[in-house]
Amino acid sequence: MRGPHLPLAALIWSAFSSFSSGATVAPQAAVNKKYDVFFKEYCVSCHDEEKHKGSVRLDNLSFEINSMEAAERWQKVLNSLNSGEMPPEDKKQPDKVLKTDFLEHLSQEMVVARKTIGDTNGKITLRRLNRREYKNTIRDLLGMDVSVADLPADGSPGTFDTVGSSLFMSSSQFESYRQLGRKSLDAAIELFATPQAPRKQHIEPEERVNPSVESEMIRQGSIRKRVAMWTREVDAAAARPENAKSVAEIRAKAETKPNQFYHSWDKITGAPPPLDFGFVDAVDVFHHQSQWNNLIPFIVDYLSLPKVRSGIYLTPGISATRAYTCFVPNDWPAGDYLLRIRLASVGSLSLMPSRTELKPTPTRPPAGRRQFLDITLGDAEKVLSAHHITGTMEQPQELVVPISVEKGGTRHFKLRETNPEISNADVDKNPAIWIDWVEFEGPLNTTRPTPVAIQAIQTLLTKGANTEHSVRETLETFAVQAFRSKIPSRAYIDKLLALYQARREAGEKPEIAIRTPLSLVLASPHFLYLSEPVPEKERRPLTDLELATRLSYFLWSAPPDHQLLSLAQHGQLQQPAILKGEVERLLASEKARELFTGFTRQWLGIDRLDFFMFNPKRYPTFSSAVKEAAREEVYSTVGWLLKNNRSLTNLLTSDEVVVNGLLANYYKLDGVTGDEFRPVSVPPESPRGGLLGMAAILAMGSNGEHTSPVERGAWVMRKMLFTPPPPAPPNVPQLTRLEGQLLTTRERLSAHQEDPQCASCHRRIDPIGFGLENFDAVGQWRTQDGYEKAGVGKKTWEIEPAGAFHNGPAFANYLELRSLIAAKPENFARGFTESLVEYGLGRACGFSDQDLVQEIIQHARKSDFAMQEFFQALVASKAFHTK
Amino acid sequence: MATLSRRHFLRSASALIALPALESFGFRRFASAAAPVVSIPKRFIFLGFGFGVTNETWFPDQKTTGENYTLPPGLAPLALHQKDFTVVQGCRHRFSDNPHGGSTFWLTGANPFSEPGQSFHNTISADQIAAAQLGKETRFTSVQLCSSEPASTGHGAGLSLAWDDHGKPIPGFETPLKAFHKMFSPETAPLAQRKAMLLQERSILDTVLEDVNDISRGLNKTDTDKVSEYLQSLRDIETRLAKEEKWLTVEKPKAPLSAPGEGLAGREEIKVMYDLLVAALQTDLTRVVTYRQPISSLLSSIGVKVAAHDMSHYSPGERMEASQRRDSVQSELLAGLLDKLKTTSAAEGSSLFDHTTLAFGSNLRTGHYLDNCPTILAGGGAGIKLGQHVVLPKDTPLCNVWLTILKGAGIQLDRIGDSTGILTALG
Repeated sequence: MRGPHLPLAALIWSAFSSFSSGATVAPQAAVNKKYDVFFKEYCVSCHDEEKHKGSVRLDNLSFEINSMEAAERWQKVLNSLNSGEMPPEDKKQPDKVLKTDFLEHLSQEMVVARKTIGDTNGKITLRRLNRREYKNTIRDLLGMDVSVADLPADGSPGTFDTVGSSLFMSSSQFESYRQLGRKSLDAAIELFATPQAPRKQHIEPEERVNPSVESEMIRQGSIRKRVAMWTREVDAAAARPENAKSVAEIRAKAETKPNQFYHSWDKITGAPPPLDFGFVDAVDVFHHQSQWNNLIPFIVDYLSLPKVRSGIYLTPGISATRAYTCFVPNDWPAGDYLLRIRLASVGSLSLMPSRTELKPTPTRPPAGRRQFLDITLGDAEKVLSAHHITGTMEQPQELVVPISVEKGGTRHFKLRETNPEISNADVDKNPAIWIDWVEFEGPLNTTRPTPVAIQAIQTLLTKGANTEHSVRETLETFAVQAFRSKIPSRAYIDKLLALYQARREAGEKPEIAIRTPLSLVLASPHFLYLSEPVPEKERRPLTDLELATRLSYFLWSAPPDHQLLSLAQHGQLQQPAILKGEVERLLASEKARELFTGFTRQWLGIDRLDFFMFNPKRYPTFSSAVKEAAREEVYSTVGWLLKNNRSLTNLLTSDEVVVNGLLANYYKLDGVTGDEFRPVSVPPESPRGGLLGMAAILAMGSNGEHTSPVERGAWVMRKMLFTPPPPAPPNVPQLTRLEGQLLTTRERLSAHQEDPQCASCHRRIDPIGFGLENFDAVGQWRTQDGYEKAGVGKKTWEIEPAGAFHNGPAFANYLELRSLIAAKPENFARGFTESLVEYGLGRACGFSDQDLVQEIIQHARKSDFAMQEFFQALVASKAFHTK
Repeated sequence: MATLSRRHFLRSASALIALPALESFGFRRFASAAAPVVSIPKRFIFLGFGFGVTNETWFPDQKTTGENYTLPPGLAPLALHQKDFTVVQGCRHRFSDNPHGGSTFWLTGANPFSEPGQSFHNTISADQIAAAQLGKETRFTSVQLCSSEPASTGHGAGLSLAWDDHGKPIPGFETPLKAFHKMFSPETAPLAQRKAMLLQERSILDTVLEDVNDISRGLNKTDTDKVSEYLQSLRDIETRLAKEEKWLTVEKPKAPLSAPGEGLAGREEIKVMYDLLVAALQTDLTRVVTYRQPISSLLSSIGVKVAAHDMSHYSPGERMEASQRRDSVQSELLAGLLDKLKTTSAAEGSSLFDHTTLAFGSNLRTGHYLDNCPTILAGGGAGIKLGQHVVLPKDTPLCNVWLTILKGAGIQLDRIGDSTGILTALG
């Protein structure tokens, strides 16, 4: 990957940079004294002790914003200025530039103030497992997956889902835990109690598809016949002399469109209604006729394709072949299965080769562009996986996809070509993928080790549950597992036992009765909370066991495994070398994927990708599969950098991208085949490489139709430059001056620079967004943009990316903008580190953490910001070892 | 934390909120509304629609107040009922600052930042204050309706409009069918079995309480507070069980309407939810209902293609038309609800409408504006003067409206959120 190289402009910028990246002293929010005159003149003059207009006094308001009360009063000042309410219209108005500066300053200080006042001084609140952790913990404990969709979403906006103070509990949630616990237990006991013999089902899809294609042709043939019969009868009636006058009138009107004549059949005496021929009305007749014209040639051609008797082709031209749906048989148990598909990429087969009278299909996209298969679960649009099909008709390939069937969950899977999701006349309807056969095999659970908690249940049920002692033993073993090695109290076990006995007395068999107390364990505090008890006003180092738990929930979002627990039990985990080795081991594990996805999703705000529907007509290539691959690119890139201990700065700019075949195709990078995400080199002049070139990041800065330079600019400031703009303020008057006009994006947003309320933030945000305008709403490169408004007109323009940072250097194009941003690795590292501290410690990263953050950055800088060093430094820090 | 027994925390659950004696009202209408001779119970309906309204066409002209005002286009479908509702302008919540959440603080007026170290905090909502007093004698203390739409669609954090006395979100019935079954479908299990179930539920609480005691040892205050949340949820279940026990032998009322279909969405869904809430009040299953209405599915159901958030930031053209269309349909639906309330008889020749107070609105006005919250009040339950267009002084606490209608219906309370006093202008 590319080493840091600084263009000249960036060097100049660093010289007069206003970022205080070296500060370690916790800043105090305060209004700069230089605004004293401004404040006195435009605010205090009316709101002093004597006049206190509107019962508001500002003369006694301290410039230091160090209390909740002061913050609220200053917020009110800010709000009144932002809404344009103050100073009143009839009073003297401040100079625009001065007002803009003051607003910018005050809003920034308010952000600082909220952070200072909200600082927890390192206190970590007892925290509940969040949804992800709950799911992973259940998986470790019971050896199976549970759907957590029923649990309420975690945390509050702006924080991570690991922050204890924002993880709440309510009675309905307690009930959900009980139900989920019971559901998981039922499924796990069933799964492990009766080892399922693996089974296999082989399906030849043509056996179902071809008859339905043929019957469609027969149906269309019958329609064709009936249309002919009806029009013949109408013609006959029209030929009668008594109809001559009305027919002439109709013909005069319908001269240009021959079918129009038949639409007026009811004005012709003796003409039969279409209903007699099986059509609702005349419109219906010709609707079917046009279907015939398009469909029959397709079907005829389809049925004469080579190998059509031994497999099926996926083509959007015929409804029966648009997608192929296959089922895991209903009597197969829930569990993991393999879906095997033998298939090929078709090459240059073409439907309707000789029918020149029909509208030709558009030129085929370059070879290899249509080689992707989507697999979706049920009828959901959400793509389970997408695959690059490289097998040929001569040498088909065998695709093996692991799938899982949940208890009571959906069992049918849909195979379809990626992209042609819309039946649109412009879509190439020629077949691209041929499927020979499909197989299901499984369940695969026979190879999975039975978890200790389940073994405890099995032992009880096989050895007999007739003694109180054996039941107690099972309850205890299970609870210790569930409580992550903490020994439950005797009184608690006593009551669990009593619950079991009550169920037995109610007539339940032991294997059912035991589930009531066990599922309750999964709703008990020691299971749901990560407890690190410490008395009031005291701090203490974590015990080995607590450290093991904190570490594994940080890096895996899951409970500690056997090795971690064993190190903790032997008192070795605190040894720096061992701890360091464990961090490496955990990061290298498959389970660390939860970190790449869970942390990265929240750090970079990836959820925004789901805020908008991407208009499929406008962006047909940004299919669900591509969107999911684009999201995965972000996670896979972070994961790859982390696993290979590469520099964090590769996210700013890089000469490699981590993509799979589908995404490489989307980015028009050649020579990448297959479904694995892997690093691929890109030339230096490529816009790809680094977060800013990723389709997901760029698409997040749009509303599914158009780009939003404001969203993109603000995102760059928040995540990359780590100079976050204040949150969008309420009650700022909306700009209406330019409404209803045909303008370029730049012209439209120029209004932002006019009012101080807007300019105070947008002068920083917008130029960055304009610099990214060469990427369209779905992250494809473009040089032109356009805007169309019904009734007003259409306008296109050349993209002008050139601009300058506010009080900073200029850039001529996207690549220069990217270099300028990449020249600030410290800022990016700071943002990353603060997020990591918050995520890892489960509490807001406050000003009292500045030393810690600085330490981590300094440590990582020594190895050119190698990714793992951030984690090592945080895990080695005192904060990570202290409750 | 001291070791707690179930009985102990049951006791503390009954303490509820300390209530002051009923103070005398400054004006006649309220005094009569609160008079104890009224034996027909008071009811409340709160309807929140998240994203605001079309500023230009929903609000009546501020210059024409009183009863002779012209209904603006957005309220035109309510014309037949003009004498029976009041439009209130000028209110806001001083602490609200989330320009995409119209429901989180709508009924609470809380300061989200009032707890240091927490990025979010809420307090009890107006409906729950009412429910604590009106809900003692009904099967459901209150009923919350919502939709399966994500809360991010214009409503902000929360599970319904309701927040309990600890500022925690209360979930609601997400579909008409769920609401119907819970409220009206007869219990299928025999009584003895249901009794045994209740007993088991109690031992369940007893059992987890042992683990609460265990985990509570040697915790600092912040952690103790977290455990208290858990404990509180057990208390809430205990309270619910106590109520279920009381109603164990009482059959559910016969549903005055047939079970709704599955998969209702948008306009149909809202209409059916309105029917259900009238049915719940009519059969006295509850006296307090909140409904957090869907917005995205409403738009789809009326053929609007614009996304809800885009619509809320309208400018003249397609998005503004979408916003206006939404206003009209919401007003039509409200008109239907008012019809229904008026034609459903309560007792002695009076209608349900006469004993109910209905509030319809949002914390969001339009776009990112959080002032002049759209507010409509209807019903005779709180003695509000109806048929009025009231323009209050700018930035009057919206909580004063809640205080006024709650007190007007005889609910005892001192204040709610940032309220400063009752609004005589509504009397």
